[in-house]
Order: sequence, then C-alpha cells, then structure tokens
Amino acid sequence: MDDKIGVFLCTGYGIAEALDVEALRNVVTGECEVPFCETVPSCEGSDLAAMNGTIRREGFTKVVVAGISPRAYAGDAFPDGVIVEKVALREHVVGCQPPKEEDTQMLAEDYLRMYLAKVKKMAPLAPFRPAEPLDRGVLVVGGGLAGLTAALEAARAGATVRLVESTERLGGWLGKQHRSIPTKPPFRDLEETGIGELVEQVTSHPRIRVSTSATTASISGGPGLFDVTLRSTGNGKPAGEVIDTFRVGAIIQATGWKPADPRDRLPWGRQPGVILNVDFEEIVRAHGRPVHPVDGRPVRSVAFLQCGGSRAKEHHSYCSSICCLTTLKQALYLRESDPEAKAYVFFEFLRAPGLYEDFYRRVQEDPGVFFTRGEVTAVEPAPGGGLLVSAKNAMLGESLAVKVDLVVLAAGLKPNSADGEAIRALEGAKVAVVKGENEQQRKEAAEKIEKLKAHEGTEILNLRYRQGPDLPALEYGFPDSHFICFPYETRRTGIYTAGAVRQPMDGAASREDATGAALKAIQCVEMTARGEAVHPRAGDTSVPDFFLQRCTQCKRCTEECPFGVLNEDEKGTPLLWVTRCRRCGTCMGACPERIISFKDFSVDIVASMIKAVHVPEEYEQSPPATTASCSSAASTATTISATS
Amino acid sequence: MAGAETVLPGGPSTRGVRPPLVEPDLDFLRSLRRQAGPDFKKCFQCGTCSSTCDLSPADHPFPRKEMAWAAWGLKDRLVRDADVWLCHQCNDCTVSCPRGGRPGDVMAAAREATVIHYALPRALARIAHEPHSLPLLLAIPFALLALALALRGPIEEGLGLAAVAGERIVFPYSVFFPHWLLNGLFLTVTAFVLLVMLAGALRFRAGLCAAERERNGPEPLRGRLASLLAALRIAFGHRDFGTCTAARPRMLSHSLVLYGFLGLTIVTLFVITAPVNPLVRESFVYPFAFFSPMKLLANAAGAAVFAGALLMIVRRLTDRSGSRGAFSDWLLLGGILLVVVTGFATELFHYLRLEPHRHVIYFVHLACALGLIVSLPYSKLAHVVYRIVAIAHAERRGRTAPLKGGIAKEVRHV
Repeated sequence: MDDKIGVFLCTGYGIAEALDVEALRNVVTGECEVPFCETVPSCEGSDLAAMNGTIRREGFTKVVVAGISPRAYAGDAFPDGVIVEKVALREHVVGCQPPKEEDTQMLAEDYLRMYLAKVKKMAPLAPFRPAEPLDRGVLVVGGGLAGLTAALEAARAGATVRLVESTERLGGWLGKQHRSIPTKPPFRDLEETGIGELVEQVTSHPRIRVSTSATTASISGGPGLFDVTLRSTGNGKPAGEVIDTFRVGAIIQATGWKPADPRDRLPWGRQPGVILNVDFEEIVRAHGRPVHPVDGRPVRSVAFLQCGGSRAKEHHSYCSSICCLTTLKQALYLRESDPEAKAYVFFEFLRAPGLYEDFYRRVQEDPGVFFTRGEVTAVEPAPGGGLLVSAKNAMLGESLAVKVDLVVLAAGLKPNSADGEAIRALEGAKVAVVKGENEQQRKEAAEKIEKLKAHEGTEILNLRYRQGPDLPALEYGFPDSHFICFPYETRRTGIYTAGAVRQPMDGAASREDATGAALKAIQCVEMTARGEAVHPRAGDTSVPDFFLQRCTQCKRCTEECPFGVLNEDEKGTPLLWVTRCRRCGTCMGACPERIISFKDFSVDIVASMIKAVHVPEEYEQSPPATTASCSSAASTATTISATS
Repeated sequence: MAGAETVLPGGPSTRGVRPPLVEPDLDFLRSLRRQAGPDFKKCFQCGTCSSTCDLSPADHPFPRKEMAWAAWGLKDRLVRDADVWLCHQCNDCTVSCPRGGRPGDVMAAAREATVIHYALPRALARIAHEPHSLPLLLAIPFALLALALALRGPIEEGLGLAAVAGERIVFPYSVFFPHWLLNGLFLTVTAFVLLVMLAGALRFRAGLCAAERERNGPEPLRGRLASLLAALRIAFGHRDFGTCTAARPRMLSHSLVLYGFLGLTIVTLFVITAPVNPLVRESFVYPFAFFSPMKLLANAAGAAVFAGALLMIVRRLTDRSGSRGAFSDWLLLGGILLVVVTGFATELFHYLRLEPHRHVIYFVHLACALGLIVSLPYSKLAHVVYRIVAIAHAERRGRTAPLKGGIAKEVRHV
C-alpha cells in the first residue's frame, strides 16, 4: 500500500471537555494501526493552515480530521489530490450526547474506526475527461413563447443556440392570439402579444440559428456531446429528408401544449356553434371581432363553459390554470365588439391566480359579462336559431337556461410530450409478439400493444437512449422531474423542459420558466466540461466504475437507472455515458454481482464502515445502532439541529 | 322581453323540464351601475351581507340573492321581490362586503326600479329619478298653479298685486287664493295621485304573488286584512328600525317626519273640511290664532318634520359605508324641507304683515306641497305604500320575523 494516512484530532469546540482525547488517540494508533495522530486546537484559520502544512510536509495521501462537520469547510480547505474525510465530532457526538459518559466516548471512537475504515478503502477520484472536446451549445426544441425566450436568454448569456420549430413559422400559440391577457398592474387592459418583436429578436440574433419546418430525427450522446440530426417536415424539402447534423451541449424542450378537446365526450359536444377557445381566438384574430363560424354573422351572445365543459377525472383531472384567464379575455373581445353583447361564463371554480384577480374583477365590472357556477346539462338548438344552454346548480343553486349564438368550451392544456418509456414498452411488446417464447407471452404482448397503441409514432426528441426515445412522462404526461424541488429538471441529464410542456402555465410564467431552463442548460455544459455532476449532486467528480468482466448482462442497471445513463450493446452489456450520470448510485444498488462502484463509495466501503463499529459483548443498556442518512438532506438536518 | 324569464315553447326538453330562460337586461344593469357603482357585479356569493343583516330571514335571505339577480340584470325578479322592501338600508352589508359590492345601494336601486316599474305613466317616474330633470320637476307644480290662477283671471290680478290700494293692504288669503280653487285643485290632484298609487300598489302585489307562485313559495299563513293590519303596525311602530341594530338611531328621525306629516295632514283636512264640518262651521276662523289647538298642533308637527329631515340629512352625509344616497332620496328630503320651510316662512310673514311677500311665499309653499303630493306614486315617497304592501306580503308568509340574537349578530359584535 502506498497510502500514507494521517489523523488529526481536534480538541476545540468543547470536544476535549466532553471526550477523553487520549483514549481516542489510542484507538487510532493502537487498534487502527495508524501511526500519525496529532491533536489540533481547532479546524479553522491558522490551525487549518498548520494542518495543511503538516499534510504537505508528511506527504499524506489520506487524512481523517475528527472535529467539525464537512459542511463547515470551504471547498478548497485542503490540498488537491489528498483524500480528506471529516468526522463531525462536534455535531454528531459532543453536540447531542452527555459529556464524559462512557457511551459518548464509545460513539466518538466508533466514528473514528468507521472513517478510518472508509479512507483505507477509498481511491483517488479520476474526473471524466472525454477524448473529444465538449460542445457548449444549446438546442432548443419548439419555437413558441417558451422556446423563443429560452433561445434568446441562452444566446444573451453567451451560448450558441440552435432553435428547431416543426411548423413553418415561429410564435406558437401566442402567435395565434388576437390579444394577450394583461401582464402588468393594474391588470385591466388587454395587451398586444409582443410575439412579433420576440421573433424578430431571435431571428436577428447572431448566436441563434433557427430551423423551421424541422424536427429532431435523432439525438445521441449525452451532455456536452449530444449529436443531433434534423429532418424536414416537408415544407420546401421532401418530408423526412435529413437537413442538418450538429453537436450541442444541452437541450431545452419547449414543445408547448395542445388543447384537450372534450367534444367527443360530451353528448352535446358535436354540433355547429360549439367550438373550442382556441378556435374562437383564431376567429377573432382573423375577423377582428367574434363571428359565427358557420354563417360568418357577428356573434352577440356567447356561453363560455369553463373546464372544457367537462372537468371529469377520466378526461382532464387537473387545472390548466390559464383557461379561465383566456375566457375573461375572450369575453372582453365580445363586449368590445358590441356594447349590447352578452357573455355568460359557467364555471365550477373560476381561477385567476395571483394578481390576475384584478383582471377578473375588471371583467366582472363589465355590465355584459355574467358569471355563474353551474353544471351544464344540455346544449341544444334553440327555437328560432342559436343555442340553448341549460345548467343546473347555477345561480343560487337553481337551474337556468340562456340563449346564445355560440358556445365556447374553455379547453384545457395537454402537454405536447411523448412518453419515451411507453414508446419503448410498445416497441418491446411488438418484438415479443413475434419472438415470444410461448403463447401466454405473445398474448400478453398483444394486450400491451393494444393498451399502448396511442403512443405509436408520437416521438419528439428521438433520443438514442436505451430507456426510450423521449423524456419519461410523469403525472398527466408532463415530462417533469419534480416541479417544486427541481424545476426544469427532467429524468434525462442535460435535457431541460420549459413552458407549458412542463406544467400548465401562462405566458409570464413561460418566459420565466424558459429563462430558468436556459441558465440550467448553460450550467450543465459548464459543469460537464469540468467533469462534475449536475444537480442534485452538483460538483461531484466521481464516476461509477463497471467491472465488466464479471457482468452477467442481467440489465438491471440499464433498466433501473433513473436518468437513462446506460445504453446497452447487443448482448445487453451496459455502456456508460458518463456525462449523463448524476452519481445517484442506483446502479450500484441494482447490480446483483456488485461490480459497480465509485472510488469514494462502494458496497465494500459501506460494509467495512459498518463492520468497524465496535460491538460490546454486553449492550443491553445501550445497543449500538447505525443509520444511513442522505448527505444532502437528513445528514444536514441532524448536523444543523446538533449545533442549534 | 328584457329581464324576463319565460318557459320556451316546445314543451319539456329531453332532459326533463326545461329550466327557465334567463335574459339579462343590460339597460337595467347600466342603471344599477350608475346608482350602486361598478362593483356590485363582483359579488361572489359569500353571503356575508345576509349574515350581518339583522332583518334578513334564515330562509332565502336577502340581500344575497338580490345581489345575484342584480349581477345578472334580472330586473323582473327584483321588481317582484318583497324582500328588497324589508331592507331599511342600514348599510351593515355594504360595510362588510369583501368585494365592495355595496349591497345596501343595490337594494335601494332595486326599490327605485320597482317604483318606476309600477308607476303610471312610467315616464313620469323616470323623470322623478333623474337629476337632470330637477328644473322640470320644480317647474311642473308652478305651472299647474299658474294655470289654475290663470283660469280665475289675469295673472296680475290673481296675484293680488293690482289690488294694492290705500295705505294698508289687507287681503285675506281667501281673496288671494280662493278656497274653491285651492281645494278643487288639490283635491282633484290628490284623488288622481291616490288612484295612480293604488293601481301601482295592486300591480306590485300581483307581481309579488306571481313570483311566489313561480317559485312555489310557501302558502300564506294568515289573511290579507290581518297581514295588512300587521304591516301597518310594523311600519307605524317602526318595528324594523328597532330590530335592525344599525338603523336604530334612524327610528327617531323617521318617526319625527312620519308623525309630523300625519299632524300636518290632520290640520289640513280639518281646514278643508271646516266649511262642511257641523262642529266648527260657525266658529271657524282662518288663519288660526297662534294659541289655538290646531295652530299649536300644526307648528309642533312642522317643527317635528323639520327636525327629522335635518337629522336624516346629517345621517346621510356621515354614513359610515360612504353611501350618500340616490338623487331620489335627496329629492324627497329637499321637497319635505321646502314645504316645511316655506310653510314657516309664510306664517312668519303673515305675522309680520309683509305685503305682498306673504302671498308670494304662500304661493311657493302651496306649489311645493302640490309637488310633494303629485310625486307620491313617482318618487321615493312611494315607499310609504310599497313598503307596507311588501311587509304585508311578507307578513302573510311569515318572512318578517327577524332572527333574534342569531349567530351572525354575535359574530358582528366580537
């Protein structure tokens, strides 16, 4: 062994008062057989400098500092290349146990044994350095408000950006709107959408290259090394033709939303004069005022049915957050077109989040907009033309009917996402139908195909990932990792989502979201270039080692990796894409052969630490116990609580 | 028909009985907005207004439902609603409304709409409710009197100005304004006005009953006459003013004005009927001596009306809800004050023997009194009748019994 280990025992912070330091030293030099053990008065300032001087002079490769929590040190507190383990005697022993007790002393000694066992097994980290240079560019998929904003913000921050839009023009849904809801105080007046200026800024930016009528045919690689192939959607060039290949460092998916059309579900949904809010918007944009879609005559009364007229669990069980605001806006279109026009709004809950409440009140003030709770029971042709909308549990709990020219359903938002895992399962089932080992397997595969056939051909990103061609879709199809703790994060490293594809949101939130995602993408390429992991183990330079000679190709690691890091060769041997790895250790736990390890963390290291605990022969009074606590949450919490 | 509900022809729909068709009345909404401000439509039906109200019954309480109807411009429901007349506008609801919806003002506006709706002709009532018609309103009684005087001869002569002769001018009023003319004109007008008022009251009552039938309201608990008598007892006894904690101070001002007017009416009827009253026919002297019982009553009653009206004005100007009242409120208050002030001025000038000022001011007094009488079915004064009809209607169905010390009251006083 070339390792040279040094141990520093801190006597400050009340440690010397609570513990027998001499006995601790005996543990180190005696049973642990580490000859160098020195006491230091504290772990900071000149004492820390003196400690570092000793480390350099003695040429230690591994050091254990028994004093304060690792959280208390700066990142560069110790010399580079030296493995330093910090034992939190202050927090985990002195701070929470009675001083000068036998059990307290025993606890401190066990910590020393465990961390000495740990450093003995640790090897120096070798941060990932790829053979080829990493790319720092950003690919933005989707040219709506979120995509345009993400592209512009990333470019302004210095990144080169490729923006890909599947249709002929940029602008997305906002580009199809007549006016925008108010975005600033006093939230009373409709605003211009401003999408034209945004498109102009994006298309004229020197670091942004826009490809319209294009989609991603394939994306392979990982952060810093994404190889992207674009294909044409058929405008000008033959559909499917490869039009470009390039490399980027990170990806932002801002593919937006599509309306959740409830009309086929509603017994009265399919009849002339029952349209979606997006259709109403396009009519107003085209004609400057609401007109009837069938005969083109000006519309004088409209019933707006919120929640798509059908907020049912099986249809659309979440709130899309913007349909109420859209209805308020569209009611104003109608009222501004004709002072005698009437807009009826039937809702279950009318939601105008935050300061949009002011906009709601402003629309309420309008004499010609009528709000009522109510469950619409029927929409039928009225005698003499128009439609008759009947509702129960409406105003004052009574039933009522109104006669209108048009019924507008406030359709909710569905994410424009593809469920990569479902697509992969579908592909797998297709193979199993042909190659199934027995009738039962083939039958099950056929049933699976039936269940998943809606996912056929829905690919968006076309990732060359073993776990499927797109981001895993979570609740309701939103490809979000965890929208509260980890906004913009997805379960594919280096691919961030922004805007309504991630979560229903309005324009203002989309802009903010896109800006956040752009910064996350830039952060990702920078950290990847330094060989570091991204959030949540940001800065971790360890890399999982696969001892492939003993791999049985069981595919558990490739299946269970939450981030789709591992591809497979034909035999099923895992292929590691290091820059996708988040250092979560799931593969390590999944491997039945225990061939996956980190240099600073492995099954062997943890087992050695547990074995190092000294178990007395008689322990009825205070049996020893160990806990494994999360280094970012639980361990931090106990550390903080011990010192406060 | 705007603001109305009709059951559409074509029989019941496939989903059972078709609900009533609702058609908001935009003109009505705009008039509500003028009177109660733009915020009444922001009502979100929380019910705070009804829970703070001491007078509101537990079943279908007001003004919550009236706020919903108002927000939808359902004039038809509001003008056929007895509850808007059970409110005495203490404005507790307006103070408590979390949306600034001013339910107190909405109820007042609904009452106004009711008066206009049932008035014959309706146009006259509209005029009586619009500020810009004030000069016209003032001109009408003067024109009427001038016309009446013109029938008697040239106006100068009629005014008595041409008859000034000698050093001292002594004109009895009877020469200046002959009693046959005064009585004839006033009695005719009063009779006509009362007829119009009666028609309005009957139509209002029919509306209330129709609305009750449409919503399958409760069966009447007591007879019509008994309910009417109870309503009169409630109104003249100021029971609701007493029940409503916040309106209690207004009991005094309203009593002063109401009973003052009753006193003045008694004196007036006594004077008019004196020539045919066998008890006083021989001894009747007009004007009365200062210490005659009738003069004492008249002066006391006049003073009561004056004091009551002043109290009302002060209260309106200091209302904690910020409600300063509608034009119709001020028109009535102004009219009452004009009648009383010109009455006292006439009396004063009479004692001072100021000629011909006393004749001119008497002329003005009479014109104002006539104006007040004419305005009965068309102005806020109509509340005298509509409120009694509404209370009688509510009394008949057991809706007037107020909640005594309910939960809301406790909450309000915390």
